Amino acid sequence: MRVIEARGDGLANCAGEDGATTTVMIDLVGPVAPGDELLVHAGTAIARLQEAAA
Amino acid sequence: MKFVDEFRDAELGRVLAGEIVAVVEPGRHYKVMEVCGGHTHTIYKYGVDDLLPENVELVHGPGCPVCVIPMGRVDDGIAVAMQPDVIFTCFGDMMRVPGSDGTLLDAKADGADIRMVYSPLDALRIARENPDREVVFFAVGFETTAPSTALTLMRAKAEGSSNFFCFSNHVTIVPPLRALLESPDLRLDGFIGPGHVSTVVGARPFEFIPADYGKPIVISGFEPLDLLQSVYLVLRQLAEGRCEVENQYRRVVPYDGNPSALQVLEEVFELRPHFEWRGLGFISHSGLKLSDAYADFDAELRYEIPGVRVADPKACQCGEVLKGVIKPWECKVFGTACTPERPIGTCMVSSEGACAAYYNFGRFAREREVV
Repeated sequence: MRVIEARGDGLANCAGEDGATTTVMIDLVGPVAPGDELLVHAGTAIARLQEAAA
Repeated sequence: MKFVDEFRDAELGRVLAGEIVAVVEPGRHYKVMEVCGGHTHTIYKYGVDDLLPENVELVHGPGCPVCVIPMGRVDDGIAVAMQPDVIFTCFGDMMRVPGSDGTLLDAKADGADIRMVYSPLDALRIARENPDREVVFFAVGFETTAPSTALTLMRAKAEGSSNFFCFSNHVTIVPPLRALLESPDLRLDGFIGPGHVSTVVGARPFEFIPADYGKPIVISGFEPLDLLQSVYLVLRQLAEGRCEVENQYRRVVPYDGNPSALQVLEEVFELRPHFEWRGLGFISHSGLKLSDAYADFDAELRYEIPGVRVADPKACQCGEVLKGVIKPWECKVFGTACTPERPIGTCMVSSEGACAAYYNFGRFAREREVV
């Protein structure tokens, strides 16, 4: 999912492939900024996508 | 879309398919097992298996988290959901898994307050909004999902929540893999490793597969080209006489996983002595319960749980499907008595279940024509 807005308190608003937005816990990936791509599972970001490794 | 379109390129897929043909030994039959429901879904959604030579067989293992929940745990969940003042929350596909006397959806129709949530955080929000009710989250999933439950419980504790509880059915992936490798009725040549679980635990926990059992494993991403490349890498290891852990999904999976996620799992959960898996029976140290520090949030301590072991319906062969012993369409009730609309077994419920994937993407019709 792509970060739209970091809200503070370990949460961020993110958009998925279909454009739907949801609130995501980002405690496991550290600070995020709009445009960052995250792997989100059950409402939690568990990894950042690394372009260099793709 | 970035990180998606480039992994669905048809021309590259044809190139990879050609490389697979070049690396296999004619006359040898290869069985490669994937152990993630997301992989099973991709294989049948995109027809990945249609691009493989006939002597390369993909076998589906116990990687769908909803599929491995035994009927007795569904009954336990329904018993909690029927308690007065309880709001019972769970993921959508869990609501349709049959227990011995119906599903959570049936219990909802009978009056229980059961609500579908997208994440455990949604369940905690419901608890905040309903301070006079007790909210229980039915937690299922492997190490991919467990961190989300753990973080939510940490938030609940930090907020001083007293009406939020977790009924943990989280499981771990390594013990069932070891059980499968010990099984005499399944001869596998290699594994496609679970990409999202590995995001959390890393690739290192799978080193026992080459070390103890002499089989290759390739941690794979979830797009069709990821899977084709991972199959190729497994077959190349076999052709070169190697067996090791390879990481095809490096854009997401660090070899040592996500240390923060492992830390929250360590804090919130502890291993159960044993846990029952559908089709695989009891497996030691394969389930997660809440740690003592989170006992106040443990639904198994808060409510009386029946805890009765229930055998699967006789006609249902989910156990054999989950072990890769039979293909979904070889089950006696596949596509007749058991369909995604009216599932008998768990593998037909979740979109990650092998039977649902076969059924939904046209496999049922094709196999029937062949028969």
